[in-house]
Amino acid sequence: MKKFIYNMQKYWNYSVYAAKAELKAEVANSYLNWLWWILDPIAFMITYTVMVEVVFGTSEPYFPVFVFIGLTCWNYFNTCISGSVKLVSANKAIVTKVYVPKYILLLVKSLKNLFKMMISWALVIVLMLFFKVPFHWTILYWFLIIPVLFVVTFGISTILLHFGIFVEDLFNVTNIVLKLVFYLSGVFYSIGKRIKGPVKVLLLKCNPIAFLMDQSRNILLYGKAPSFRWLILWFIVGCLLSWIGVTVIHKYENSYAKVI
Amino acid sequence: MKRKKEEKKEIAITVKDLHIRYRSLKKFSIKKSFLKLKTNKMEIFEALKGVSFEVEKGKILGIVGKNGSGKSTLLRSIAGIFSPDKGKIDLHGNTISLLSIGVGFQPALTGYENIFLSGMLLGFSEEQIRAKLNDIIDFSELGDFIYSPVKTYSSGMYSKLAFSITAILETDIMLIDEVLSVGDIQFKAKSYAKMKELIDDTNRTVVIVSHSIETLRELCDVILWLHDGEIKMCGDVDEVLDKYTEFMELDVQKKEEAKKKEEEEVKKAIKKQTEKSS
Repeated sequence: MKKFIYNMQKYWNYSVYAAKAELKAEVANSYLNWLWWILDPIAFMITYTVMVEVVFGTSEPYFPVFVFIGLTCWNYFNTCISGSVKLVSANKAIVTKVYVPKYILLLVKSLKNLFKMMISWALVIVLMLFFKVPFHWTILYWFLIIPVLFVVTFGISTILLHFGIFVEDLFNVTNIVLKLVFYLSGVFYSIGKRIKGPVKVLLLKCNPIAFLMDQSRNILLYGKAPSFRWLILWFIVGCLLSWIGVTVIHKYENSYAKVI
Repeated sequence: MKRKKEEKKEIAITVKDLHIRYRSLKKFSIKKSFLKLKTNKMEIFEALKGVSFEVEKGKILGIVGKNGSGKSTLLRSIAGIFSPDKGKIDLHGNTISLLSIGVGFQPALTGYENIFLSGMLLGFSEEQIRAKLNDIIDFSELGDFIYSPVKTYSSGMYSKLAFSITAILETDIMLIDEVLSVGDIQFKAKSYAKMKELIDDTNRTVVIVSHSIETLRELCDVILWLHDGEIKMCGDVDEVLDKYTEFMELDVQKKEEAKKKEEEEVKKAIKKQTEKSS
C-alpha cells in the first residue's frame, strides 16, 4: 500500500503528461480530429435509436438521451477493460527498457478515457437541453457515480492486465464476455421495465456497469436519488479489486519483461 | 565508524549471488492447457547462475563475454527491469538509468514534447527536464525540427534526439549496453566525447557492456568476464582482456578444427560410397 502511494506520487505527473500526449497523438492522426470524440457516440446513438424505435417498436422517455447516457458509461468501461488485457505487450518498448510500475500504464489509459468520457458527459447535458429534459437537483449525485465507475473499472483492469500477460488468448475471451455484458447491461433498453423477477435484480445490481448506467439515468432523467447502499458496496468492491490487482502486480511485475 | 567506512571505499552497486531464470514455456493458451493438463513441464533456462560482485563509487566496470553469456540480462536486472529469482541487488540509494534509445516516444508528437515524455518516464520531474531542455536541444543539433513530429524524422535525427535525452539527463549510475554509435561521423565523435565526459565524472558509476575490446581498454577501471552465466574472471583491465581475447581466439580455432574434422569425415563417407557403387 505504501509502495502504491509512493509510486502514484512519483509517476502522477508522467501519467497526466502521457495521457495528454496520447490524446494529442490521436487527434494528430485523423482528419476530423477531436470531432470524432463527439461524432462517434452521436452516430451510435442514432443507430440504436433507429434500431429500437423502428425495428423493435419500443421506446423510453427521452430515448436518445437515454441511449447516450448508456453509451457514455459503456464506452469508458469497454475501452478500459479490453485495452488492459494486452496493455503490457502493447507497451513492450517501454517495459523492456525501463522500470515503471505496470499499473501506471493502466492509469495513463484510464485518464485518457476519462477525459473522453467527460466530453461525452458534456454532450449529455447538451442533449438534455435539446430534448427539453427537465433538470432535477439529483443531477449532483453524478459526482458520486463517476468515482465508483472509475474504481470498479480500474480494479477489474488491474487483474486482467496481470493475467493477460500469461494467458495468450484471454483477449478473445474478454471480448466475448464484454459483448455479452453489453447486451445484458441495457444500453438501449431498460432492464427495470423489460425484465421481470429475480433475474432483474441480478442483472441490475450484480453487474456494476448496468447498475451505474441505471443510476445515472435515474438521477439525470427521472430525478430519483441513487441507491446509496449499492453504490457504497460497489465502491468497496472496486477498492478491493484494485487492492488485489495492485498487490499481484507488485509481486509479479518484474517477471513480465521476461515473458512478453 | 560509518564515516570511516565511507572514506575507505564507498560501494555503489552490490550484487550478491544473483540468479535469473527464464521459463521458456511460461506463456500458455487456454486450449493448450486443456489438451495437456498434466504434462505441465517447464523448461527453465538459467541465464545467470550465482553472480556476485561489487562496484565502487566512481568506478567504471566493463562486462565482456560471448553472445548469450548473460551480459544484457545482468544489466537489465541491475536497472530493475527484471527481479532476481534468487540473490540480491543493492544500489545503496543511487539513481540509475539504462542508457537506451527512445524510451516511450510518441511518433505523432513533436520532438519537444517527446523530450518531456521520455524524460518523465526515466523518473525526472518536469522542472528538472525544463532546466536542461536547451542543452538537450542544442546537443541534438535538430534546430527547428524539434517542433516537428518525430515520425517525420530521419533515423539519424531520431537517434540523435534519443541519445541527447539520455546523455544530458544524468543519473548517479549509468548502464550502457554497447557503446552507442549514432548519427554521422561528426555526431559520433561528439557523442563519444560526451560519453567519455559522463564516464570520467568521478561521482558517476558506470557499467558498460561491449564487444569492443579497444573501447573497454580505454574506458574501464575493472573488467568482469561472464561466461555461461558465471563469472569467469574479474579484475585488472589488461589482465582480464588479454585472457579473454586469448580464449576467444582459441574458441575460434577450436570451432574451425571441428569444422575441418567434420568436412573430412563427410569426404571420407562420400569416397566410401563412390567406391562401393563402382
